[in-house]
Amino acid sequence: MQRFSHYQEEYYPSPLMHVWIEFRRSHIALIGFILLLSFFTIALIGPLLAPFDPDLQNTNAILLPPAWEPNGTVVHILGTDGLGRDVLSRLLYASQITFGSSLLVVIVAVVVGVSLGAIAGLLSGVKSSVVNHLFDSIMSIPTLLIAIIIVAILGTGLVNSMLAITLALIPQFVHQTRTFVKSELQKEYVLLDKLDGARPLQIFTHSILPGMVELIVVQASLALSIAIIDISALGFLNLGAQSNFIELGQMLSQSLDVAYVATWLVALPGFFILLMVLSVNIVGEGLRSALRNRLSH
Amino acid sequence: MIKLSIRYINLIVLTVFVLLVFSFFLPYLFPGDLLTNITGITPETQQQREALEIAFKLDKSIFHQFVFYIENLFSGNWGVSTATQQSLKTEVALFFPATIELVVYALLFSILVGIPLGFIGGLRHHKGFDFPIVTFSIVGYSFPVFWIALIFITVFCLQLNWLPTSGRLDLLYDLPSVTGFVLIDIALSDIEDKSAAYKDAFRHLILPTLAVSVVTTALFARFVRRSIMDVMEKSYIIAAKSRGFSPWQIFLKHGFKNALIPILPILALQVSTLITNVMIVETIFSWPGIGKWLIEAIYQHDYPAIRIGMLAVSIVVMILTISTEFLTRAIDPTREKVEHATF
Amino acid sequence: MKSYLANLSRILIALLLCGCLAACEKRDIQHIKNAVVYCSESNPSTFNPQLDTSSTTADATAHQIYDRLLEFNPENGRIEPGLASSWLVSDDGLTYTFQLRRGVEFHTTAYFTPSRSFNADDVIFSIERWKNESHPYHHVNGGSYPYFDSLGLADTIKEVRRINGYRVEITLDSPDSSFLANLATDFSVMLSAEYAMKLLAEGSPSRLDRYPVGTGPFKFVQFRQNQFIRYQRHESYFRPSQGIDQLIFDITQRSSLRMAKLITGECDAVAFPSQNDLVVIEEREDLSLYEEPGLNIGYWAFNTSKPPFDNPEVRKALALAVDKTSLIDAVYLGQATRAKSIVPSTSWAYESGARELGYNPVRAREILTEVGLPANFTMDIWAMPVQRAYNPNALKMAQLIKRYLEDVGIEVNIVSQDWNLFRQNLTNGFHDSVLIGWKADNGDPDNFYRPLLTCDAIPSGTNRALWCNKDYDALIEQALLTDDIEKRRAIYHKANLLIFEQFPLMPIAHAYQYQATRADITGMEINPFGGISFERVKRIQAIQEAEVRND
Repeated sequence: MQRFSHYQEEYYPSPLMHVWIEFRRSHIALIGFILLLSFFTIALIGPLLAPFDPDLQNTNAILLPPAWEPNGTVVHILGTDGLGRDVLSRLLYASQITFGSSLLVVIVAVVVGVSLGAIAGLLSGVKSSVVNHLFDSIMSIPTLLIAIIIVAILGTGLVNSMLAITLALIPQFVHQTRTFVKSELQKEYVLLDKLDGARPLQIFTHSILPGMVELIVVQASLALSIAIIDISALGFLNLGAQSNFIELGQMLSQSLDVAYVATWLVALPGFFILLMVLSVNIVGEGLRSALRNRLSH
Repeated sequence: MIKLSIRYINLIVLTVFVLLVFSFFLPYLFPGDLLTNITGITPETQQQREALEIAFKLDKSIFHQFVFYIENLFSGNWGVSTATQQSLKTEVALFFPATIELVVYALLFSILVGIPLGFIGGLRHHKGFDFPIVTFSIVGYSFPVFWIALIFITVFCLQLNWLPTSGRLDLLYDLPSVTGFVLIDIALSDIEDKSAAYKDAFRHLILPTLAVSVVTTALFARFVRRSIMDVMEKSYIIAAKSRGFSPWQIFLKHGFKNALIPILPILALQVSTLITNVMIVETIFSWPGIGKWLIEAIYQHDYPAIRIGMLAVSIVVMILTISTEFLTRAIDPTREKVEHATF
Repeated sequence: MKSYLANLSRILIALLLCGCLAACEKRDIQHIKNAVVYCSESNPSTFNPQLDTSSTTADATAHQIYDRLLEFNPENGRIEPGLASSWLVSDDGLTYTFQLRRGVEFHTTAYFTPSRSFNADDVIFSIERWKNESHPYHHVNGGSYPYFDSLGLADTIKEVRRINGYRVEITLDSPDSSFLANLATDFSVMLSAEYAMKLLAEGSPSRLDRYPVGTGPFKFVQFRQNQFIRYQRHESYFRPSQGIDQLIFDITQRSSLRMAKLITGECDAVAFPSQNDLVVIEEREDLSLYEEPGLNIGYWAFNTSKPPFDNPEVRKALALAVDKTSLIDAVYLGQATRAKSIVPSTSWAYESGARELGYNPVRAREILTEVGLPANFTMDIWAMPVQRAYNPNALKMAQLIKRYLEDVGIEVNIVSQDWNLFRQNLTNGFHDSVLIGWKADNGDPDNFYRPLLTCDAIPSGTNRALWCNKDYDALIEQALLTDDIEKRRAIYHKANLLIFEQFPLMPIAHAYQYQATRADITGMEINPFGGISFERVKRIQAIQEAEVRND
């Protein structure tokens, strides 16, 4: 028996679905999304895609140009570097490190930042206000400066540079969470919880947190693009990833020595960073417009 | 108003104090010899070491040491760099102005280009010129600053041979550093052909300024565009429209001010991003600023320099941020609190 | 709306025009000022080459600020008169008498005005400073004189005596066939005794090596760390020349940036062009490239004071695991000859049949198992951060070696630090092994054998293997006692065998030396025996203009 509806049904998509519907209306946002997905894939299984061991040196094939150049070979599609290592494989590994570590940095920053922000928001009083203000001011210290201090204390390395960037990213999440929690605490649904006898933590996890997830995601996308740029910048300045990791910024910096004979070695890592950040920004921008449109409907 | 001023002065004092305490403990955290980390001097003999320890009150309690440190800072005695054995105060005075100079150029450029772009985009959004502006604002914001600097060098210096790659002024001009700002120093100097010197300084500043500005301009355009779009949807604008004012009148009378004021502090917050970018660009264009100096201090394990440099930069940035926040609140008392980077 | 756009486009066009105008203006200030900008690779650690063997320091000081009693002829390596116009050697080879040139002026600078010209007191001061431990200046600025210490020269010289104002007599304890050559090296510079005494009286003797005064063709004006060194022509230099008025060292650590500055004309000459860029330089008409087989050796030294590298078998195994040929191909791009022992083939002491280890990873693995090296053994390779002719890219070489050692089960950690810090830590013996090299200061093979591997050279920081072998030291001493080249050669061949058996270091390559300049610069020939000299450097266009004016 065929079932059909007798009534004109109105379809209300869930909020998340609604955002997605708004989001996919923009083709550019979709392209960015696909790009971002592919970087996620690289971050997860990048090494499996690489045709060569990224550290495999071949002194008989030094500085081969990419395949589309007259002297290029199909074996090394994006050419080789000064030690004869396959550039495509190195780029895949490097993207994995750059993107993966940035993602990790943002996740840690979100968790720590939101927890601290929630505590700050739930507490009140003069002390909290002073501490908050102080925190805000310290937030304006440039990331690179924090990184320089951390590197001076702990030495150079990928983990240390990640630590520095996490520290630089946390305050904005603290701030946003705190502001959000403060304003929500004034609202009536929270009062209802309170009357029901909920403890502050329960109020936060059950009532406030669900409402701010979208906000956090948008903020996190912004943070992710900053993290990618900062990680690669520190790699470029030789303060971040050292030669035991392959990282895009560090790869670019090492290629500078052969910049005149092998332009592609400088162009490719930079282009990958650009693509990565661009895809994050496009998706972030798309999300923001989608959320805005949903609210205005 | 007075109450507000006092609050903000309090905040500045408090933050500076926190920074001072933090910087005081840095030498204890840095690897290596504590005495060298504090003084910048590597003692050659045991007697010398003991003499230095007494001179720097390392034999006294932490509290004494801290008071001594603060006294020294305020009396202008900032210690010496381990790498050059030069007074850190002289070095900071030499390098910091170059950074501020570049920050100012880039900020001016970003304001002059980014804000008009944002207006155009915001007023005509989803039409005509909006699309290239949105594209620029997203792509420009996504450029790693070091890469764009390298692209500029490749194109404008190596291919076209138009502009120099490094420094602020040709090294052949023996320019004495009076204020540290090259444009002012040229005016004060006794260089014969000043217009040639200015031309040279101008050629040197184009590329670093542009490289830093790409990101900031894109950011400004984006913020302003968004803010204009929000303002133009406000009820008072719609009311004005219904009363038959032309779009230009509305924009100049209501939109302009109301769109700019809320984002001023957000733009000011970008100074911190801007400084990070300036510091990176300095290393590429050999711009003799504090960023290049600090990064070289890291390479040379020059801990006294890192400590003082960090303190100087963070205090300046902090005071800058807090005073902009204060100004915005003074101009617009209805604002309860500045919203940070919610775009 | 429209006017906004119009304004905007006007601004943009104006900016572009400015850019173009600025660009179309030719860089002519270098011609007006008759100046040369040299892009150097690093900071000198001092302005007195007595205190340092780094060629960065020598380049910035030795031939610019100072003169020596004797000089090498850069073409044939013969010793020629410098500040000493003539000299006599006694028949027993123990007494040297130098007749000094008269009327040689010291620099008049912002910080010092000399009241007298160069004389015997300055010679005595300059030598006594490093020779005599009780000299008031001996301990100033570190008290270490690496070149002289590594040669043990302070012990060889018995006395430096003033005969009259312009005549000095130096007596030795034992004959030393390389003594004159040592006086002509970059390190044997003549300082001003008057300046030193003035500083001592003022209580700031350490300024002597930071604000230098010499007799050389250029006087020091200003040094800014990581930025530049500024020199001015010494007007009353004793060898008058038509050279440049201003000299600037633009300190640029990255070789790619130096190359960029050479192309844009911001630099007139660059230090150590990267091997990769040589092709680019040769292709361009506005650049010239100088090439010379170098008197140098790039090597991989093991820290023989640290286990397990104190075992010669381990050192040999490490060398067996690495394919030297591929290192030379990838790092020097073929612009070097393979090194068998430590002296290059241009030296008379070269031994063409010297034994060397080939590439044999299987044997390497066997040895490593025999000596019982723990599994997952990790070692450091220190790669010097600056480029040198003898090793244009140590970091790259370290990466190659890392791969080879992984094949025999050794993990490698590559260490690279700021150059001055790096050398300090090497002297302290913090390293496991290091990729570094040596450039000859004179043509005598003793200049390789002694500073690189004798016991005396350990504290002075030129013996990077920290290897001390009494038999070897005895051989090297013995070789100096005679002037007979055949006898000396036989002794050095014995030393080669000893080095091969003990293997404190793995010789890698003797590289060609390169120097790149703009095409309008002349007189920048490579000096195979030491630092760069700008005394005879000129601008072609400046010369032409002068000729036009004369017509």
